[in-house]
Amino acid sequence: MLTLAWRGVRHNTGRYVATLVAIITGVAFFAAAGFVGDRITRALEGDVDRQFAAVDVAIVVEDGADFADDLRIDGSVAEDIAALPGVEAVGGDLSGSVAFLGSDGTTFADGAVGRLWISDDALNPIDVDEGTAPLADGEIAVDAGLAEDEDIDVGDELTVLTLAGEFDVTVVGITTFGDSDAQDQSGTVSIPAPSAFDWLNSGQVEFEDLYVRGTVDETALLEAVEPLVPDGFDAQTGDDFRSDKRGEVAGFGRVLKITMQAFAMLALFVGGFVIYNTFNVIVSQRVRELAVLSAIGATPKQLKRSLRFEGVVIGLIGSVLGVVAGFALALGLAAILAAADVSLPGSGVALSSGVVIQGVIVGTLITYLSVTIPARRASRTEPIEALRQSAAETGTVSRGRMVATGVLAAIGVLGLLQGGAPLVALGVLSMFVAVIMGGPLIAIAGSRLLRPAFSRFGLEGRLAVDNVARNPQRTATTSNALLIGVFLVTLVSVAGTSAKDYAVAEINSLSSADYVIESDGGTIDDGLVADLEGVTGVEAVTPFRRESVTVDGEPGVVSTGDVAAIAEAASIELAEGSFDDLVAGTILLLPSTAGGSAIGAEDDPSLLGSVVTLVDAAGDSAELEVVGVLETSIDTISTGSFVATDTFDGFVGDTAPTVAFLDVATGVESDTEDAIEALTDRRPDITLTRGNTIGQLIGAVFDFLISAVNGLLLMSVAVALIGIVNTLSLSILERRRELGLLRVVGMVDERVRRMVRLESVLISALGTVTGVAFGVFTGWALIYTIDRASDADLGFSLPGRLLLVVLALGIGLGFLASLVPASRSTRLDVLDAIEAT
Amino acid sequence: MRCERYIRHDMTGTDEVDDNGTSAARTLAAVKTYGDGDAAIHALAGVTVEFPAHRFTAIMGPSGSGKSTLMQCVAGLDRLTSGQAFIGDVDLSTLSRTDLTLLRRDRLGFIFQQYNLIPTLSAEENMVLPLTLAGKDPDRAWLSTVVDTVGLGDRLGNLPSQLSGGQQQRVAVARALVPRPDIVFADEPTGALDSHAGVEILTFMRRAVDDVGQTMVMVTHDPHAASYADQVLFLEDGQIIDRMDQPTSDRVLDRMKQFEG
Repeated sequence: MLTLAWRGVRHNTGRYVATLVAIITGVAFFAAAGFVGDRITRALEGDVDRQFAAVDVAIVVEDGADFADDLRIDGSVAEDIAALPGVEAVGGDLSGSVAFLGSDGTTFADGAVGRLWISDDALNPIDVDEGTAPLADGEIAVDAGLAEDEDIDVGDELTVLTLAGEFDVTVVGITTFGDSDAQDQSGTVSIPAPSAFDWLNSGQVEFEDLYVRGTVDETALLEAVEPLVPDGFDAQTGDDFRSDKRGEVAGFGRVLKITMQAFAMLALFVGGFVIYNTFNVIVSQRVRELAVLSAIGATPKQLKRSLRFEGVVIGLIGSVLGVVAGFALALGLAAILAAADVSLPGSGVALSSGVVIQGVIVGTLITYLSVTIPARRASRTEPIEALRQSAAETGTVSRGRMVATGVLAAIGVLGLLQGGAPLVALGVLSMFVAVIMGGPLIAIAGSRLLRPAFSRFGLEGRLAVDNVARNPQRTATTSNALLIGVFLVTLVSVAGTSAKDYAVAEINSLSSADYVIESDGGTIDDGLVADLEGVTGVEAVTPFRRESVTVDGEPGVVSTGDVAAIAEAASIELAEGSFDDLVAGTILLLPSTAGGSAIGAEDDPSLLGSVVTLVDAAGDSAELEVVGVLETSIDTISTGSFVATDTFDGFVGDTAPTVAFLDVATGVESDTEDAIEALTDRRPDITLTRGNTIGQLIGAVFDFLISAVNGLLLMSVAVALIGIVNTLSLSILERRRELGLLRVVGMVDERVRRMVRLESVLISALGTVTGVAFGVFTGWALIYTIDRASDADLGFSLPGRLLLVVLALGIGLGFLASLVPASRSTRLDVLDAIEAT
Repeated sequence: MRCERYIRHDMTGTDEVDDNGTSAARTLAAVKTYGDGDAAIHALAGVTVEFPAHRFTAIMGPSGSGKSTLMQCVAGLDRLTSGQAFIGDVDLSTLSRTDLTLLRRDRLGFIFQQYNLIPTLSAEENMVLPLTLAGKDPDRAWLSTVVDTVGLGDRLGNLPSQLSGGQQQRVAVARALVPRPDIVFADEPTGALDSHAGVEILTFMRRAVDDVGQTMVMVTHDPHAASYADQVLFLEDGQIIDRMDQPTSDRVLDRMKQFEG
């Protein structure tokens, strides 16, 4: 029987082409995602393990410290730790924005990160690739990527632009970070102490992280270090630290791999429909051969096994080819990214055996499963069918299927409209199964509905409609493949657009300052404020001082300045209390939103009058009475809580403002923005954000996500297209006598081809329309559920134009899919066609 | 000139054609060759023949004699390697594929061994198919005459799969007759039927010739079927070797036996 199966594969090669293409496409995407993802993950993880190998204990910012990027560890802590017994070396991280000033006055390498050079070689994650380490004042090292991009060599004299001003430096070394050039996207500039503290941190000796190397084991060291760890920070063993760091840096590669492979799996799932359909048709066409085998004594089991073996052979061939194609695809992808100047960590693409094995198994398994049902059908072939004229076609749908479809659809609708999250998920799943199962009913109903419309195309239109209803099961399987893709595209678009519109509207309803300028490490000095005020169109510049602190142990921010003016510029309002009550020893508290049970919610009345404890990086603390509670808005992200200037001075110290809100007159914004940018560009530490662009930004992010997901979903649509081509080609082969007769009695070739095209368009229209309708309904139901289950009031936004595009695309693709089968339909000689059996 | 031999007029019933004044179709030195060189098979080795109008002509011959090829070339289903085939005055070799299709639609009818109905169309829709393709309305009176003749009045709405083999072939005969074509070509029309159903079909064909003067050309290997024709042409090795007027089953059978000798 196996010989027979093998012959079956060899003699039906043409019919398997579509099956192979479907498998190859799916497996190729799956494998490519795996290859690229693995390479990235491994490169990044490897770097972490190598570069931080010597770290025994690390002191890092606590989890969930969102706004505490500038929370620092005082230098004294490092000294205290270094003095502990068993500690060999302590190194700390400190970073800040730098850039270089060219001889022509323009800056370059904007966005590069200046890093304190850790003098302990073992603890320093950065390696010197060429030259020497930067140890003396006026020496720096740049990473290999920066050196190449900006054409910097060892020995070059440059002017570095820092928060503290311009400095002349000499490049003494070129550095690398493991297999990558640098851990910072835009390049790393290594600066030795003490220059680093002066240039990056206003001269204060502070660190972002501390790395400890010791002679005792990690746990013992951790216990020794722990009492010295300041508030807002955690001490970790080296292993924990590396594991976190691995997750952090490799997350990108892993997320990329998982996401891409999920979409590839979807394409493979759709491919399953194509494979199922192909084998179903093949079984129909070979019914006579199977019946003869059955007549001469092949058992049902043997017939089944024979067909399954065919499936495994095809699946294996397709999967292996798919993995090869995937490798090529990954190389191509890497090449395209390289051409677009996006260098992926790790060079090239690794042919990882795990991905190869996974790809082959997944592809073969899906093929095998898709063949199971046709194989069972084949095994039930009765010997008598060998004598029948043609395979009987069932134009009806069994009652069992109708009932099951109805019940599932009812459960689905109920689940979607009534349930909480788990019931909704069940509802979607149930609806989905109902739509897939009810495919034949949809095919019959659709063709009945469209019969009058299609009859207008003449006889060929009517025949096309009838052909679609003739084998509703096959039509359904074909259009279902398309339906899945269209459904998901619609769902993502509808739900995504609704969520986007809601988010953007919410953000736009929160007024904010026109611009926010922030200095990372530098200050908003009076000169800059004066310059900004001098810009035509700028109405007010409101600088304020800000510091990262912990509020009752929770990381947060506190600001001071002319609080009334700040509130005015940024439309900050109080939920409770009054701005006037803010005096020394009191605070206008911003309730924590990030798990801040300690500080409570906006509407917690007990907050007013309570006392909170603020602790700054240096460990100074202050107890303050809450005299007002701020309403959360965009700009409170920048300000945090407010205290009076006296409180701030006494607690943090007499620091300079680092943030400012800018109000500009309406109408002149474009020119004004250019002028403001010209001023801020000269300062590498300053970032300029347009306040009301946050809404646009979020909208753009949503749009990007919707497009990206839809783009990936197109993969499954492409596979569905192959399915339509395949089904049509096979059914034309099956009906060649009928087509021959039509041509004999006078249907000209063009009309025969038009008939095939109409049939294809109808099949794809069924899939597309059902998919869009189902997608819109599910999207609406999701929004409805979210609205019901939460306070949010998401409006249902129907992206009408997008849906029209989807509809047109689906139907257009159906037309495209018909071109090959249509031309094939009249290629056969009339006589051969009519005499075919 | 190889082994081509021209059939002289007196061998092909020219006198009779002249009596009727017209020939519905004819061929001139028709040659059909399959393959090249040594492997070449001459299905038609130079056939010149006329099919008289309003007559029932049967073409007989052993398997491989070229009888089906002759019919297919005259009916515009296949092209000659050399020579000419005419439907009326139209030289088929001058027509494009589309024009050939339109000629078949408008002037010819076909009956095949394997019924060849469109499974998604009802019996009546199959009958008027060529007219539908031409965008014409059927002549209702004529349609009901044909339907009555073939006796399918109560089956018009049925799909082919709901009809017996004999009934399906009757639909096929009706389809050939309804557009009143110049010629109906039948290829082994009784080949797949039992003798009773076969007789029915042949009777309908005969009546069409007698009642309305339909021209009928039938390829068959069955002497009984051939006996319904006005004349029988005998083919062997791609050439017409004999002709018989007013055939009977016995005479045809006797003639056929000579081929085996």
